[in-house]
Amino acid sequence: MAQAMSGPAPYIYVCTRTRVRKAKLLPPEEYARMLNMSIHEITRFIEETEYKKEIDELGTSFSGIDLIETALSWNLAKEYQNILDITPGTLKVFIKAYLRHWDIQNILTLLRGKMQGLRPGKIKEVLIPAGSLDRVFLDRLLMEETPERVAETLKGTDLYHIVNREISRAVEAGTFSHMENELYKEFYAGLLDIARAGLKGGSQFLSFIQLDIDITNIRNLFRLRADQFVENIRSMMIPGGSFSVDELQQMYVIKDQNEFIETLQKRMTVKPVQEALEAMKGARSGHEIDVGLTRSQLEQMERMSKINPFSVHPILVYLERKRYEVVNLRAIARGKESNLSADRIRACLVI
Amino acid sequence: MALRDIKPTRSELIGLKKRIALSERGYKILKMKRDGLILEFFKILAQAKDSRGELNRKYEQAVEKMAIANTVEGAIGVKAAAFSVAEVPSISLRSKNIMGVVVPEIESSKVRKSLTDRGYGVLGTTSVIDDTAVAFEELVEAIIQSAEIETTMKKLIDEIESTKRRVNALEFKVIPELTEARDFIKMRLDEMEREELFRLKKIKARSVA
Repeated sequence: MAQAMSGPAPYIYVCTRTRVRKAKLLPPEEYARMLNMSIHEITRFIEETEYKKEIDELGTSFSGIDLIETALSWNLAKEYQNILDITPGTLKVFIKAYLRHWDIQNILTLLRGKMQGLRPGKIKEVLIPAGSLDRVFLDRLLMEETPERVAETLKGTDLYHIVNREISRAVEAGTFSHMENELYKEFYAGLLDIARAGLKGGSQFLSFIQLDIDITNIRNLFRLRADQFVENIRSMMIPGGSFSVDELQQMYVIKDQNEFIETLQKRMTVKPVQEALEAMKGARSGHEIDVGLTRSQLEQMERMSKINPFSVHPILVYLERKRYEVVNLRAIARGKESNLSADRIRACLVI
Repeated sequence: MALRDIKPTRSELIGLKKRIALSERGYKILKMKRDGLILEFFKILAQAKDSRGELNRKYEQAVEKMAIANTVEGAIGVKAAAFSVAEVPSISLRSKNIMGVVVPEIESSKVRKSLTDRGYGVLGTTSVIDDTAVAFEELVEAIIQSAEIETTMKKLIDEIESTKRRVNALEFKVIPELTEARDFIKMRLDEMEREELFRLKKIKARSVA
């Protein structure tokens, strides 16, 4: 397959391909239909879509809900790797950097599993190799005996310096929460550096990342405010978004929830987020807030991808849409398994 | 105690009287203890009902939160977050005395934790994990509280049962048997006295004749 590596051609090529893939994603009305199906019907329905290969492949090892969840995760990982393969040049730099959060998730799961002395097979069930650390490398890490050995084996990867810096402290304290926060902050700092490095399309990537940082910070502000255990939240906020860490700290201490939301609305000029915040006034559960913010983020991402149709935006939007398709299918299957009502499951969907 | 094994002597009668007095005193004390334990039991029973209701409610809540977490995050996300928690709440046991019954007093390390102390990072998780963690922390607290009350109740029931057995044994077996033996000795002693008197009269009559 011939690919043009310079000029606007790579953007047009990848954006068109991702747009085609996006069109193949399940429309919202299919989710409504699935809410009335049993687990077996859902499995069959999924088998008739893009997930057929994974369902067939895993059918002998898993069954029921585990088959659905594992097949969805495998498909997600495979799809992300496919997108990386077809993305050329600077776009690949952006996408590869963006998918690094899957590496963080996998490494943290691995370290925690090792810390608890879990069997490699049990840890492997929970890994989703959708980032740049592939299945072979993750298998190598799984064979290591201790968290320190896992950290050592990471030498040469982007995560090494943070993991190596934090590992002794984490093992001593028996918790990886500080390391987790540091890894995610470093991840976003890295994304901002790449976006500001002067690469073509960097400004579009920057606006996307800043939106992601804002939504993550707002979401965590709501969570920390509900918890009310800590006074200083600066270390848990990601710098580089629309708000400085000090501003976020000031907003954290606002007593009244509606006043807090109004302060956020004044500063967040993004319309979907403003509307989502307006809907959050009054008492709402943390999960509803999460879903509301995620929906507004996706809506804003869609708008951005329409404004810049041949940029990194359509690719990132597809990656997010694909991720939430997997989340929605899993939510319906898991919700059915737990006998949750259709309304409860519908509230968990990101449509 | 078979009556034929009893020696109808005065010393035996005195011994039996002492044992009857002791048994009756013990019977009264044990009866008071049983009534006291029953009163304590009913106090604990009210607490146990509340704690069991609370426990059931919290269990249902925790299961529901877990179902939502599984729905939103998937089993993979929930398992990955669960790997973060390595600490098991430590429990210290002390004992207290309720009317001679040693019951446990359970103290545990703080189960409810802040978002930052749970072991998972804030930046890599969502609020459904927080909600599930809170629900299960509250459930563990309710289990610990319930364990203390339920163990106390079980120990009280055992003690009431054994005290009741002792009271019944004293009331229907020990005291009646001792009383019967005392009456038997009394009767035999009276009879022996009458025989002696009759024999003396016979001897006197024979010597006069």
